[in-house]
Amino acid sequence: MEEFVGELWHKLITRQARTDFEAARVQLSELQTQLGLYFRALGGDPGKGLEGADSRLLETRRRLVQRLAGTHRRFPVCWQDERSLRLPPSIACFPEAELNTSLYFWLTALSAQLPRIGHWFVDNQRATLALLEKRPGLAEGYWRLADATLVSRPSLDTLQGAEREREMVIQQAIRQPGSVDRLPLAKGDPLPVPLWVYPAPLRALAPSTRDDLEDQGDGSRAEESLEGSRKQAERFDDSKQTDGLLVFKLECLFSWAEQVELDRCQEENLEEDPGSAAEDLDIISLSRQRRAGAARIKFDLDLPAPQQDDLPLGEGIRLPEWDHRRQALINDYCLLQPMLADDALPAPLPEHLRRQARQLKDRFALLRPERRMQRRQPQGEEIDLDAWMEFCTQPTRAETCHNLYLDRSQPHRDLACLLLADLSLSTEAGLGGDQRVIDVIRDSLVLFAEALSGSRDPFAIYGFSSIKNKQVRYQLLKNFGERYGDEARGRLLAIKPGFYTRMGAAIRQSTAVLQTQKASQRLLLILSDGKPNDIDRYEGRYGIEDTRQAVLEARQQGLQPFCVTIDDAGNDYLPYLFGDRGYTVISDPDRLPVMLPRLYLNLTGNGR
Amino acid sequence: MSKERHYLPKGREIEIFTLAAENRLPVLIKGPTGCGKTRFVEHMAERLGRPVYTVACHDDLTAADLVGRHLIGAEGTYWQDGPLTRAVREGGICYLDEVVEARKDTTVVLHPLSDHRRVLPVERTGEMIEAHPDFMLVISYNPGYQNLLKGLKPSTRQRFVAMSFDYPDPEQEVVIVCQESGVDKQQAQQLVALGNDLRRLKDHDLEEAASTRLLIYAARMIGAGLSPREACLACLAQPLSDEAETLSAIERLIQAYF
Repeated sequence: MEEFVGELWHKLITRQARTDFEAARVQLSELQTQLGLYFRALGGDPGKGLEGADSRLLETRRRLVQRLAGTHRRFPVCWQDERSLRLPPSIACFPEAELNTSLYFWLTALSAQLPRIGHWFVDNQRATLALLEKRPGLAEGYWRLADATLVSRPSLDTLQGAEREREMVIQQAIRQPGSVDRLPLAKGDPLPVPLWVYPAPLRALAPSTRDDLEDQGDGSRAEESLEGSRKQAERFDDSKQTDGLLVFKLECLFSWAEQVELDRCQEENLEEDPGSAAEDLDIISLSRQRRAGAARIKFDLDLPAPQQDDLPLGEGIRLPEWDHRRQALINDYCLLQPMLADDALPAPLPEHLRRQARQLKDRFALLRPERRMQRRQPQGEEIDLDAWMEFCTQPTRAETCHNLYLDRSQPHRDLACLLLADLSLSTEAGLGGDQRVIDVIRDSLVLFAEALSGSRDPFAIYGFSSIKNKQVRYQLLKNFGERYGDEARGRLLAIKPGFYTRMGAAIRQSTAVLQTQKASQRLLLILSDGKPNDIDRYEGRYGIEDTRQAVLEARQQGLQPFCVTIDDAGNDYLPYLFGDRGYTVISDPDRLPVMLPRLYLNLTGNGR
Repeated sequence: MSKERHYLPKGREIEIFTLAAENRLPVLIKGPTGCGKTRFVEHMAERLGRPVYTVACHDDLTAADLVGRHLIGAEGTYWQDGPLTRAVREGGICYLDEVVEARKDTTVVLHPLSDHRRVLPVERTGEMIEAHPDFMLVISYNPGYQNLLKGLKPSTRQRFVAMSFDYPDPEQEVVIVCQESGVDKQQAQQLVALGNDLRRLKDHDLEEAASTRLLIYAARMIGAGLSPREACLACLAQPLSDEAETLSAIERLIQAYF
């Protein structure tokens, strides 16, 4: 009952205290792509992402009802740092949705103009002036926003003394940017101006190295689930060796929020939900220690437990390996185990790839075989005048000429492609931002599959990793026979990195698979992020030589091997492995998903 | 020379081209779409007083299209010179635009012409044409992602004096836009600033950047009476993208100027 009444009261009082316009609320997520493009076009750093800003605690003057309701303590303000531009997750400052939308664009433009902020009051005015001068078309929008903002500012009559003076100055600055250069001191914080960009919070810290984030065991997943807004963080130095001695005060209960200097022996409790606890916190204390406790005892457990592993298909296949010192193949040296991720659920296309997938699919649909005129046919519907003319002008012409007709025939695209992806542990490495190599590879595979399903060229996708010669794991992601659909996509989306890169065996098996296809052009695309390696002797020269041998064998069997890598050092060893024109290094991994299908077009001779 | 096509040099390209022409060396021009490669070649041809034969290469362009072919006339078949053969005989500039698009067999014809031999073998008539002293071969292409594997073969590139072009500096581009379209300087400045904003989106959001040519088109439309917003939308937004999201963002961008 109490809870019910409390809820009612909360609803009532927050409605009374409300100053925003719910009906006109605009969400950041709807505008995100447009804003990103707008930001980059206006000179914003293209490497910066766009994300929702968390609410910032500000000591503003509140009305009684707002104090009762406990609202208006936090405001989402726009700010940026080295990593990204943070915009409020939604805006409802103004009564018209159109104004709220243009506020988003204004904030983006202002942020692009003001990459570094010194004094927020002066810099915002200066940047506003500069922006209006440089891009006069923005002026009209700005004045409308400014008028609407002034209406929402506290009335001067309700304020006194220094606060009144400060409010006057702020309103003046909105009305005539650049006209005031000093903000009078007064108690508390002024109500934030939605038109302005604010400095990054003082306590916001960037993690000192990538390692800090990655070594937290499986933390990467959890990180992603805190969507939308970012949390403030404080860095806490707990690297000292002695354990803290805690004076326990019984009257205060420690909660998630308090950082206590104490080594807590904690058993992992699956029922606790650290994700939602993190969402409730204002400040998250981060350990300065490089590794979390769990990571310290992490060791290589050779293989996952059978019940958690993918389903092995059959007994495994024995494959030879090339020993360059003996210049001979060692027969049956590697055991290749085909694997199927049978627990991967069918999945639809992820939202962020939809747009590109559609584009690629449309483009590839153009490749579908179409009827066209074939020249110089022995029989056909029309006479081939060119052929006839050439025949007539030929100085040494034969008695009879047969191929003088044009014919409408049904040419078929005769090619098959096998994409082999490197899923070794090195692909777990991070790229800039939140992305890991494996994420890029995953997106690439999905887009590639979407594109090829548009062209109806037969294709297969396999992944590989290895632990010594005893187990080369050969992941079946999509084979030639299967139709590409939600099941195959589910498997592509479920790939996870593991182990090492014994490339030779995987190439040999792929060659064998591709040999079963009857197409005249057979393309073996290899997607990798580094040199072949394994924990046994398969490293350095040995691995390179074996891979090279496998590539040569593939070529001898009439296949066309081609390697795509995102390893910047690829230029050092890839020419030896794949030949001068048999590979390409993509220096910007973010572009891999888009480049891969295009590369396919070029390789298959349709590079339009 | 009063009707000479305007060309605003960005660096020493006029001198380099002239020296290459004097020394009978072939020239390779690299640069993005619409940055003034063709205009430069036309300008140089007028300067040197040589005719120019421009061939826009496409993926069905064969050696026969360049060299020539037999045609049927009233008195049977006769031989018709292609643009390359004509330039070789008469002494002109043969300009192959976007040469990487052409089929591979065309490079075979170009090789003997672009080294010391300077001859054009015409297989079908059995001729071996010695190039006129004023003959000059100029090829251009657009290096970029879309031609990832279609770049020129190193053995072909090796035979040319190469120059790299890019979009002009904003101040120069303003002058060019004014000159070509007749809009006033302030409007040209706005257009160029907008164009430079759009160029930042290349590779990330747009496949190709807004070229100087597109800016001139937009300026001409404005000069002809279309409102600046509409002109930019028609000339700078629509030609660059088909994506609704991208288009509406570009539209916002245009509104920031006009």
